[in-house]
Amino acid sequence: MFHWLEKHPFFFAVGVFVVIAFAGLIEILPNFAQASRPVIGTTPYSTLELAGRHVYIKNSCNACHSQLIRPFKSETDRYGHYSLSGEYAYDRPFLWGSKRTGPDLMRVGNYRTTDWHENHMKNPSAVVPGSIMPGYPWLFTNKADVDTAYAEQLTVAQFFSVPYNKPVPMKDGSTKTVKMGNSVAEANALALAEAKVIAADMKDQDVKDAVARGEIPEIVALIAYMNSLK
Amino acid sequence: MENRPLEYDYTVAKMFMFTTIVLGIVGMLVGVILAFQLAFPSVNTFLGSGLAEFTNFSRLRPLHTDAVIFGFTLSGIFATWYYVGQRVLKVSMAESGFLMFIGKLHFVLYVIGVAAVVVSLLAGVTTSKEYAEFEWPIDIAIVIVWVLFGMSIFGLIGIRREKALYISVWYYIATFLGVAMLYLFNNMEIPTMLAASPAGESGIGAWYHSVSMYAGTNDALVQWWYGHNAVAFGFTVPIVAMIYYFLPKESGQAIYSYKLSLLSFWGLMFVYLWAGGHHLLFSTVPDWMQTMGSIFSVVLILPSWGSAINMLLTMKGEWQQVAASPLIKFMVLGSTFYMFSTLEGPIQAIKSVNAIAHFTDWIVGHVHDGVLGWVGFMIMAALYHMAPRVFKREIYSKSLMATQFWIQTLGVVLYFTSMWIAGITQGMMWRAHDEFGNLAYSFIDTVTVLHPYYTIRGIGGLLYLIGFLMFAYNIYKTMTAGRKVEESELQNASPMGA
Amino acid sequence: MDIAEIQAYGYFGLTAFLVFVLYSYIYHLYSTDKKEGGHDYENYSNIALKDDIEDTPVSTISDDKEK
Repeated sequence: MFHWLEKHPFFFAVGVFVVIAFAGLIEILPNFAQASRPVIGTTPYSTLELAGRHVYIKNSCNACHSQLIRPFKSETDRYGHYSLSGEYAYDRPFLWGSKRTGPDLMRVGNYRTTDWHENHMKNPSAVVPGSIMPGYPWLFTNKADVDTAYAEQLTVAQFFSVPYNKPVPMKDGSTKTVKMGNSVAEANALALAEAKVIAADMKDQDVKDAVARGEIPEIVALIAYMNSLK
Repeated sequence: MENRPLEYDYTVAKMFMFTTIVLGIVGMLVGVILAFQLAFPSVNTFLGSGLAEFTNFSRLRPLHTDAVIFGFTLSGIFATWYYVGQRVLKVSMAESGFLMFIGKLHFVLYVIGVAAVVVSLLAGVTTSKEYAEFEWPIDIAIVIVWVLFGMSIFGLIGIRREKALYISVWYYIATFLGVAMLYLFNNMEIPTMLAASPAGESGIGAWYHSVSMYAGTNDALVQWWYGHNAVAFGFTVPIVAMIYYFLPKESGQAIYSYKLSLLSFWGLMFVYLWAGGHHLLFSTVPDWMQTMGSIFSVVLILPSWGSAINMLLTMKGEWQQVAASPLIKFMVLGSTFYMFSTLEGPIQAIKSVNAIAHFTDWIVGHVHDGVLGWVGFMIMAALYHMAPRVFKREIYSKSLMATQFWIQTLGVVLYFTSMWIAGITQGMMWRAHDEFGNLAYSFIDTVTVLHPYYTIRGIGGLLYLIGFLMFAYNIYKTMTAGRKVEESELQNASPMGA
Repeated sequence: MDIAEIQAYGYFGLTAFLVFVLYSYIYHLYSTDKKEGGHDYENYSNIALKDDIEDTPVSTISDDKEK
């Protein structure tokens, strides 16, 4: 039987496939049924936050920063409560990272401010002496892509029933509704309203002017995203 | 034409040899730049601050990993397949116009795919998933390239004269199937252009953008099932295919135990896929999967060492060849690094070790002793062996090859030793508490301490790149200026000039 | 029986099956060359060593048809 298999490439290939597919079948598929339920207090990303998440991905921030706090005292001391599976329910893709060249960012919104990010992104070593992180000055001039973020919101709402425009339970018993626009124009207006709040805390005059003109620089979206990480 | 005896046709193999070398240089050069950016942050703007967006660490990093995996290594796999495949099946590509056409189309589409990847990564178009950064249009192109590779494998097998499939062919088949399965499932995504707003607008935003079918923990699970096994089916399985052909052929020795090679094959196929969970220890994936990942990673030593020991024992009684031939040196040291790396990996997968090692440079060191020492050495050795057969010329310089061997070996040693120390230092510093139970170090302390190791690593990487350029030069000179050789000189040991 | 239980049984059953197959494969490998009409697996090493296009295949397609 074995010898026959070795001389018949098609059936041989089927055999190999069964053996290698086995692990995935047992390990991954069944788990899909139960995981990815959001924990209470986890809300979907707003349009501007999602645009900021795209900026984060575009610049591969995840190459150096993790978003996964392991259940060790040293990690919870440094970064806050360890990560729970349900907190990632709206993360597509996940951004856990695999290397911590810089610190974890899972709950960076708890201890860094808009103002801090603004200075830091321009020139990290001026804020943290000895930092090896490069500056990201182009984020202050490039414009965030709100349209694509909106398209992504529509996609996840449609295909994965992400609760936009629906009340989501919060930890204190109240509910919160994350709004999503009904049209591209409305989505842009929502994002701009959010951007204005961020820009009010910033010092860079060019960024303030741009937001006043109705444009959203990448840095504003990125900070909105970072502030949402809690 | 009709009177000429039938010969193996290496046209397509030659094309892929070319991309192996070019993309190897690109990938390694970018790697060296990245290494120095970590040691000296001013290198981030080496082309001026105007281009900083495209030359800073984070934008270049995926380009490095993808150029060496999908550029250098994949080209090497294709090049050796189009060489080894014909020989062990005893059938020439020249016998089938169809397969020749498939082979050439495979190459052309591959090059187009590579160009698209380079442009998109530099532009920051990425899905963020490691080694699967490409957006859906490129994913589709990659699937087509892969299907052509499969057609070429099974097409050539279909017209073979040798009924039994040599062990290398087993490994090539497994490479094809494994990558196909992993890639398809990991890249399940929905293009966002399909969505329509309540106001009736559609095709909103960037047309190439997509969103992953999996969310959060599931996404991580699928990604590392893929990421780990991309290493299996990109850096292990096809490279084992190469050494099972090239080492016996170059040394003239039959494989020590052919049966052992078959057993290791099935062992590797079954065990490897389970080990992906070790990338997610202490994360939010279910505990039993983490434990499974740990256990199977340790079990994985058996089939890995089965292959590696089999290769070393093939040289039994013939160790003088290792001293005499730099080509054999590359393969024997490659095999040794394989053993080393497959021992190191399981150690890192043990939970208590992983608690320190994860997220640090030790992991980077582990990847590189495997990739530089095993994958890189083996692909270069394969190309050195192929060059005289493909170009019908002697290898240009043996002494250059020997020098290259020692420079690169030194480079690899500098690389992994510095990364070990860096990783363990940083891992220990992150978890250190003072006598009052407070964290002993702020994060930046654990970064600045790494500077000397990052510098040594950069030098190690640079030495490896220099060695690779010597390799490229040697192959180029072989092609253009090597002494012409007769078929009779090409039986086993490759002919080499001084 | 929930999905986790099916998963556990499925895992155990298939693993036991594959281990059984692996051991019978080992037995097959090491006993076949002694048997009548068996194959010498070590001989397949020669597929790499004698791989010129004029070399005689280690096991030819036509051989198989005669059997």
